[in-house]
Amino acid sequence: MNVDSDSDISISDYEETENTVSRSKAKGKGKATDKRKKDKAKRKPKDVQAYTWEANFTRSWETVQEDEGGSLQGAVNDWVARGRRKRLLEPQNAIRRTIIRHMVLIVDLSTSMMDRDMRPTRFALTLQYAREFVLEWFDQNPLGQMAVVGMRAGVGERVCDMSGNPQDVLKSISDRHKLEPTGEPSLQNSIEMARNSMNHLPTHSSREILIIFGSLTTCDPGNIHDTLDQCVQNRIRISIVALAAEMKICRDLCDKTGGQFGVAMNEGHFKDLLFELVPPPAQRALPRSSNAGGGGPGGGGSSTNPASDLMVMGFPTRLPDTSPPSLCVCHSELRSKGFLCPRCLAKICDVPTDCDICGLMIVSSPHLARSYHHLFPVKPYAAVASFDAVADVSSSPSCHACSKPFPTTVSQNVADGMSAIGRYRCPDCNTDFCSDCDVFVHDVIHCCPGCGK
Amino acid sequence: MDGSHLSVVVDLSPSQWHLSSLQNQPYPLDLSSFISQLLAFLNAHIASRHENSLAVFGAFPGKSVLLYSSADPPTETPPSDANSFPAFRLVNSTIMHNIVQHLEALDDSSDEEAPSALVGALTKALCYINRLTLEFNASTANANATEGLEPLTLSDPRVLILSVSPDQTASYIPVMNSIFSAQKLKVTIDACQIYGSETVFLQQAAHLTGGSYIYLERRDALLQYLTMAFLPPPSIRQTISVPTQDKIDFRAACFCHKNIVDVGFVCSVCLSIFCQPVPVCSTCRTKFPIKTLQRLNAARPSLPLTSASQSRNPSVSSTPQKTNGRSSATPSRPVETPLGPGGLPHSGSINAHNINGAAHHGVQNGLGSSG
Repeated sequence: MNVDSDSDISISDYEETENTVSRSKAKGKGKATDKRKKDKAKRKPKDVQAYTWEANFTRSWETVQEDEGGSLQGAVNDWVARGRRKRLLEPQNAIRRTIIRHMVLIVDLSTSMMDRDMRPTRFALTLQYAREFVLEWFDQNPLGQMAVVGMRAGVGERVCDMSGNPQDVLKSISDRHKLEPTGEPSLQNSIEMARNSMNHLPTHSSREILIIFGSLTTCDPGNIHDTLDQCVQNRIRISIVALAAEMKICRDLCDKTGGQFGVAMNEGHFKDLLFELVPPPAQRALPRSSNAGGGGPGGGGSSTNPASDLMVMGFPTRLPDTSPPSLCVCHSELRSKGFLCPRCLAKICDVPTDCDICGLMIVSSPHLARSYHHLFPVKPYAAVASFDAVADVSSSPSCHACSKPFPTTVSQNVADGMSAIGRYRCPDCNTDFCSDCDVFVHDVIHCCPGCGK
Repeated sequence: MDGSHLSVVVDLSPSQWHLSSLQNQPYPLDLSSFISQLLAFLNAHIASRHENSLAVFGAFPGKSVLLYSSADPPTETPPSDANSFPAFRLVNSTIMHNIVQHLEALDDSSDEEAPSALVGALTKALCYINRLTLEFNASTANANATEGLEPLTLSDPRVLILSVSPDQTASYIPVMNSIFSAQKLKVTIDACQIYGSETVFLQQAAHLTGGSYIYLERRDALLQYLTMAFLPPPSIRQTISVPTQDKIDFRAACFCHKNIVDVGFVCSVCLSIFCQPVPVCSTCRTKFPIKTLQRLNAARPSLPLTSASQSRNPSVSSTPQKTNGRSSATPSRPVETPLGPGGLPHSGSINAHNINGAAHHGVQNGLGSSG
């Protein structure tokens, strides 16, 4: 509710100060200003670390501590321990996430991207990270679709159409010569272009815009706040990763639409900011009330809860390459491989799609299953502190999963959250695992080998 | 790396093996002759290359056990025998000893046998491969760093699943999760269904990881299938012709009754699958609009039919073992499985045992209901 009231006030505030758009500090009055100041004060401590251009030359290798034997094991253990603690802090119950996602990736292709404050250049690094991002994003959001828009020479330029195939998207951003940066960027033009391409999408899918923004200016034909209001109405979530510095309008775009905003301090932080957007966003608890309060009339377009729906889906049978050729319903061509619609048995070339004959949504069930580990996470394993907690050492001499023998001695100087005897216990099946398997089970398999859940 | 790693997951469910050995089967195969053929295959794998490594996991009812691994071989070696190669003898005696030990330790007090822990065995096999990969990387990382090479990964790790149990629909999500982690580890999963009905999940596992799935029709020729199809490592399979799957069934199990469905109702928020329209998603507690429910219910067949099919569903799901056991006692049964009054093209009418016939039913029903 807090979010809604905040946005209400800020919108009215904007109507007053519309003509002061280009200034980075909008002069609000009364309550709204106080609120924003509070927000700023809250944000400040997060950005304590110096930006790249302010930092001294750091010797990153000196922060790694060798132990007396000259080994780096201690540093590695710290790293593992940090990951463990982070996992323990995560909420246990399943949160609601939108899984059918649509994203437009807007890449700044203005001259400011040629700056060399990130190695080799901002542009080259952005393309490299964008490729990794696309791969990871499609891996975790297999039902998602992505489009790419470039901001170059004052216009938005369509680099790749909305596509569910990661290879299409990768191909479009693989050739750097086609994307050579020139001119000024235009936030409004590119956001409008992205918004128009997402207008027709079903309401139960998420619509997101991710902007990688290197410039400190934007060159817009009209009032960008109108665009922002329309994005709020169309429930488009805008997230921005800025490479230079924070701009007021960027922060507003993200705050009002519920997206994330971050300024990359260095190469590693840039990647972290980008990859934070890979997992499906948690859905707001009460989409309906927020629609009525913040978005105004016509926000979702329908009277029922637009954020959720029950969909009928069919899981097809795949025909082998060697089956006798027959006509497909989508191209009317003779093909041997294809998928059979489970309801009308029409032959379709590719999934996911809608059946041309009976209109059934046809998806391959592995596509759906890829996201299930978000719903049923493995419980975190508890670190076993000492041998007293192990009932019978001889009955479990080795890791339950990989059969690696456990250490028989208590190791000294263990980090917080780590086990001194290298055992991690599942709370359900009470079997012990080694630290490697602990990491592997929680990060990759998402299924406990002891209880099979 | 030269050698290839093979992890074998063996399904050792006593009741299924008993059914498989009955004389009224077309090609009966009992557990002891299966194990002797399996051991011959394992010996062939070890013998084909000195560097080859091996791990064997057993899936017993309710628990999964590592039977043998070449990374940590047993300490006490069996007495040598003039007529056998010591390496083979070590593998054979260790595996036999462990199988006998765990089969005897099985608790046969209860009437119903717990489903075999195939998922546990599969995840253990993956953890084991992960451990080998880590160890291998640690041993070669230094050498490669000096030469400026990328750290290598194990070449051709693979998992072979020898299953006799039908699909356990309750373990749909864990199986899919292990398949995706196998993809990440670049592990090939081969599957061989020795007895019983075709399994949807193993078909998908083999398809998604690039392995081959074989449904064994001539059980007496098991060893031949094993050596011809599963002995060559995946890198060689490009050049030889390995039997591929006929068709792949991409059906999923619903979350509510654990039925295998071909047309399901999916929550748009969390993608949970249900076999009938539900007002509230059981996973994420999302409430669905009434209009959608009415529309979907209206699209389904009229009331007496749905109630009949719904009353059938729980009975099917609660005793999957029995249903499959009975039906597979006559595997050559023609496809005119009784459809019952609720002859829907929907989930309820299609049980695990008539996968082959499913397409035909779909035709008849699809035409019948639409026309």
